Amino acid sequence: MLRKLTITACLTAAFALSQVPATVSAQELVIGTATGQTGGLAPYDGPAMQGFQIAVDEINAAGGIGGKYKIKLISKDTRSDAAQTSIAAQELIDAGISVLVTPSDADPSFAAAALATDAKIPAFSPAASSPTLPLMGGDYMFANFPGDNVQATVSAEWAHKQGLKNAYILYSPDTQYTTLPLYFSDVFKKLGGNVAGEGTYTIGQQDFSAEVTKIKSMNPPVDVVMTAAYEPDFPAFIRQLRAAGVTAQVIGSDGIDSPTTFSLGQAAEGLVFSTAGHATPGSALEGFNKKFAAKYGKETDTIFSAIGYDLMKVIEAGVMAAGSTEPQAIRDAVADLENIKGVTSEITYKGTTGMPVRQVTLIRVKEGERELVGQPSPTADLVPAPRMQ
Amino acid sequence: MEIFIQQTINAISLGGTYALLALGLAIVFSIMGMINFAHGELMTITGYTLMYCGLAGFPFLVAAPVAIGVAILAAVIMERVAFRPVRNSSGATMLVTSFAVAVILQTLFQNLISTRSQAVILPDMLAQSIHFGSLSIGINQILSISITLVVLVALNWFLRRTILGMAMRAAAEDFSVTRLMGVRANGVIAGAFAISGALAGVAGVLWVAQRASVDPLMGFIPVLKAFIAAILGGLGSLTGAVAGGFALGFIEIYLAAYLPDHIQPYREALALGMVILLLLLRPNGLVPAFNVGREKV
Repeated sequence: MLRKLTITACLTAAFALSQVPATVSAQELVIGTATGQTGGLAPYDGPAMQGFQIAVDEINAAGGIGGKYKIKLISKDTRSDAAQTSIAAQELIDAGISVLVTPSDADPSFAAAALATDAKIPAFSPAASSPTLPLMGGDYMFANFPGDNVQATVSAEWAHKQGLKNAYILYSPDTQYTTLPLYFSDVFKKLGGNVAGEGTYTIGQQDFSAEVTKIKSMNPPVDVVMTAAYEPDFPAFIRQLRAAGVTAQVIGSDGIDSPTTFSLGQAAEGLVFSTAGHATPGSALEGFNKKFAAKYGKETDTIFSAIGYDLMKVIEAGVMAAGSTEPQAIRDAVADLENIKGVTSEITYKGTTGMPVRQVTLIRVKEGERELVGQPSPTADLVPAPRMQ
Repeated sequence: MEIFIQQTINAISLGGTYALLALGLAIVFSIMGMINFAHGELMTITGYTLMYCGLAGFPFLVAAPVAIGVAILAAVIMERVAFRPVRNSSGATMLVTSFAVAVILQTLFQNLISTRSQAVILPDMLAQSIHFGSLSIGINQILSISITLVVLVALNWFLRRTILGMAMRAAAEDFSVTRLMGVRANGVIAGAFAISGALAGVAGVLWVAQRASVDPLMGFIPVLKAFIAAILGGLGSLTGAVAGGFALGFIEIYLAAYLPDHIQPYREALALGMVILLLLLRPNGLVPAFNVGREKV
């Protein structure tokens, strides 16, 4: 009886296994992307997926990953909506993908992370920078960007080195990312600086006159203002701040790595922000930017396209190391990756919880152009622990 | 004290923009009994016109009137194409139609222009301010306050002194009787849309002058604020819309200015809570419309 059961079980298992490759060829890596190609995340997910596509085309033209696994992409638009993200992720998982790409923001990525964890499929967000994403998202959720806490540490150390002493931070509790200034505040205080005030705003608020009046009335005057606000809030904020005559140094983060920031004229002059890379002459990033221009017929205007390219390179390295397209094997291999050469930075996952170790770049806006301030490494013991909410 | 005065100026400036927006909704509502949720998209159209004018090298002083003109045209076309066929339908039908128009326009902007935010080139002057002692008033704020004033006075004159204006006021009170007097319904309604387009255009220019960028979904938040302001003021009442707009501006600015830091994250909730409280005290709004609940059109 037991033998009969075993045989039946074996047959069933064999039958079930034989069914899987029927939809997914063994020599194919199926990647599902559930990203915000329309809506609020489109400025980030759009370019990220363009860069991702360049890497996919390159790899496939060279015969696939390791000359073995051709990449097949199934792309879905989440309309930047969290509920739609989980629907798209579920559909992709049901379609038998090996790797899932989620939106470039932590909040909708959480929706997909739970599904990916249940299905034991590795999931990657191209540009989410909240260090809580892989922590709360589980073992199968990976990020691909310098963490908010790391970016904030680099900015705070830079501000401290400039001799800036009295800070004001403006954050929004609406998303994980917009609370980045709270990390800045922690580090800046640790370095001996003073945080004169912590203002909040609502995403999409547009009118910052009340906050600006507060900043202006601070005594002693504030000499550095830090915010993670992005479009459309950030341009409105900095224009109103400068209009009120506040000349304090303003520090932003990667969300404002966008053409609008460089077209703000006098208001944005001298602004410094942290991002993921800079195309110095002869760098890999410059090479990527040329490829981008050749494929899409226009210059890339944001770092997020290169970030998308790097994400595919990480997945490629993971599949190479795993030697298979089996999701669990890819996940384990990625968690062990070290010094992967991306075009923006070297990328290491080994020893992290899924938030990669990557270089942070500080950029200054000078006459409407990018100026490299530096690519400093943060002091490790200053980096604050992820803030769980 | 200086800070209080400064915050009050901030509140007047923001309230003025809300008032213009709410007025745009109210003028259509007073005549057709419909909230036009595509009103925000008229602002987006204004924004894109400003952007293209900037790229074509037009100075801002030329671009702004052109943008307002395009908004008026768009509003009239919107009425002709989308709302005239459903004019005699139920309120729900018209409401859903306006949502549909809004979504269709947003998708068109995304597909035909860009999903990304586009920068709008503005004169540097708009990011400067005039200082009176320790007070500083942004050029933007001065423009916003003075333009709001001019528009309110002009609208008042138009509604009281011109034939079309009087016809519109009459239609708002009793459309059937107005039609019996020989006033053409199409003309009055098209006029109402043209004015709402002009108001959206002016508010759109002020809004974009503040944010310096335009994106496909930018109309949503202003129309939401306008809706809150119009309800607060008393739906269908023009004076009410202005009062509601200013009330909302004052509530938002004073909360942002004087709430302690640790309560600030609940600001939006508190602001809406105060709106609800005001509505509990005055269910028909601050300045109720003359004919609440009567059949329209």
